[in-house]
Amino acid sequence: MTDPTTSAVRTEHVWKTFHQEAEEIHAVRDVTIEIARGEFTALAGPSGSGKTTLLNVIGGLTRPSRGQVWVAGRNLTEMSNPELARLRLGQVGFVFQAYNLLPVLTAMENAEFPMLLQGIDPDERAARVGELFKRIGLDGMEGRRPRKLSGGQQQRVAVVRSVASKPALVLADEPTANLDSAASDALLDVMRELNEDLGITFVFATHDTRVMERCRRLVRMVDGAIESDKVRS
Amino acid sequence: MEHLGVLVTLAFRNLRRQLRRTILTASAMVIGGGTLMFSLSLGDGTHEEWIDSGVRMGSGHVAIEHPRFRSGRKLEDRLPAAARDAVEAVLRSPAVAAQVTTASAKLTVTGMASSAAGARPARIMAVDPVAEAAFGTIDDQTVEGRYLEPDDRLAAYVGVTLAEALGLRLDSRLVLTAQDAQKEIAGQLVRVVGIYRSGVPEIDQSLIHMPLATAGEWLGSGEDVTNIGVLVADSAAVSGLVRTLRAELRDPIAEGEAAVIGWREAMPELAAAVAIDDFGNYLVYGILFVIIGFGIVNTVLMSVMHRHREFGVLQALGLTPGQTGAVVLFEGLSLTAVSAVIGIALGAFLTWYFFGDGLDFSGMMGEEMTFSGVVIDPVIIPLFRPSRFAQSITFILFIGTVASIYPAIRAARIDVTESMKFDR
Ligand SMILES: Nc1ncnc2c1ncn2[C@@H]1O[C@H](COP(=O)(O)OP(=O)(O)OP(=O)(O)O)[C@@H](O)[C@H]1O
Ligand SMILES: [Mg+2]
Repeated sequence: MTDPTTSAVRTEHVWKTFHQEAEEIHAVRDVTIEIARGEFTALAGPSGSGKTTLLNVIGGLTRPSRGQVWVAGRNLTEMSNPELARLRLGQVGFVFQAYNLLPVLTAMENAEFPMLLQGIDPDERAARVGELFKRIGLDGMEGRRPRKLSGGQQQRVAVVRSVASKPALVLADEPTANLDSAASDALLDVMRELNEDLGITFVFATHDTRVMERCRRLVRMVDGAIESDKVRS
Repeated sequence: MEHLGVLVTLAFRNLRRQLRRTILTASAMVIGGGTLMFSLSLGDGTHEEWIDSGVRMGSGHVAIEHPRFRSGRKLEDRLPAAARDAVEAVLRSPAVAAQVTTASAKLTVTGMASSAAGARPARIMAVDPVAEAAFGTIDDQTVEGRYLEPDDRLAAYVGVTLAEALGLRLDSRLVLTAQDAQKEIAGQLVRVVGIYRSGVPEIDQSLIHMPLATAGEWLGSGEDVTNIGVLVADSAAVSGLVRTLRAELRDPIAEGEAAVIGWREAMPELAAAVAIDDFGNYLVYGILFVIIGFGIVNTVLMSVMHRHREFGVLQALGLTPGQTGAVVLFEGLSLTAVSAVIGIALGAFLTWYFFGDGLDFSGMMGEEMTFSGVVIDPVIIPLFRPSRFAQSITFILFIGTVASIYPAIRAARIDVTESMKFDR
């Protein structure tokens, strides 16, 4: 087993249990997984199998009921809520299924928001966002509000936002679920490119076979547990 | 620091996004702030009027006198010359002179006034005619003849009731008797130059004004005085002036030869009346702003409820719960701050524009309103004190903060994973 501090993510015997009325729901069951830096991984599995919950645990949005989680070498289980927030700011980018953007900010402002919180200076922010917008085909959309962008364009802005702050890890929960196939392909292509060119680690939770096909590693979950974990050649 | 800027930007843009709700709440704040300014300025104007009338008939905004003078009104309770010089020096100093409108030094003794028709007890106030005319109001209440003038020597200005009792008319002679500096009874013949009617029975039947120089010769007290009354432009300056005078008169005060008395001490009933009236007003403002405060709570809370997902995104991006709460607090505060400033400015401007020359309440007050022996002018001139602007803005911001705290806590405590569920 490799040193947990060198991988992007490592979990050890993670459980997440919800209590609903008298029932106990184990959304995540004894998950031990390691994701190396630069991987492009998909979590697949039927609805309710615990993909979202596992991503939330890894992203520090919710705490595991049992077990340990490391992100970029730091143990999340020992952190306070503000510390988790700072870890997300510095190390984790998120792309959700939809409505990722702050409606009152423009595409540019949305994309640079995490960098602004990080205190990165305006020139650097503009340079990073400008380059990514060009690469991702959002040229000329900088001043538009989310309402004036298509679903695919909004998702691309969210992707730029998630990577521009140079996190160790980007977590994407069903990023293509609201997109048509052309938009999905375009979005996945740019994420794959960013992964290959910049070495950014991506973890997806998805039902979308297009996503699974593009991933080098496919982890299947059933009832909160890992059923299979395959790396494609 | 820059991310503070972006939080403010977020707050303002969100307020603009909810324009109708924002305008509605802001209007309530603007009207509240305007009403507050209107009624505060009128309240302060009313109180200033009460105080002004009170102190002009009494001992001034600030009185410097012998500590025993007030209870006895005897000639022996005079101010030492050194104390009087010190007072005059303070009053001439530029900082104080700017606040002081008038000072009148006087010698007040109790004695008798007699004519062929009889004798009556009298309060004899020997004054400098010019200073006292500027200080008091009694010189404007002449019904016959005139007030004292600088060249007058054997002149007396008497109340209408006393004049009737002693059968006095203009130019009538009367004799004033009192204890002199040697504790001997001394008499002085004077002539009536004017008769006044103040409307206050105790004054009209006993108070006589006469020239200070004449009294000094008559009583052997030279240029000595028993008390000095000082008037200031704004009663808010009184406590500062009292402090300055007490510091300058440290020695005579320590030796029991002088006392500095502010109007609140001299007229506790008037001070209490002002305080009670203020309290009543504050209660009304308090209720008004609690209602407005609920409006703010409602606006800000609604906007939090409708934006759970947004706050979830903010926290996923790395805002701490505290910072998420701060976004909401900023929103509530900027809403209140902007509308408070507009409301207060507007209220002050409209009050000044329409009622700057005074509001006539004579219809509501009837003929003449007296208040513990003081006649009140029915025309109220609104008074704008800078401290009131600061107080009002602070008060409204306080209400805004308190009203935004609950919504801010709600936003800070949202369950991020719950708010990010797609089907909500
Ligand atoms: N807050 C919660 N309270 C109770 N049960 C929950 C909660 N969140 C998730 N669950 C349950 O945990 C299980 C896993 O949910 P999760 O959302 O992680 O599944 P998923 O694999 O992401 O499903 P989908 O593909 O539909 O998005 C489900 O049975 C769900 O009902
Ligand atoms: Mg899910």
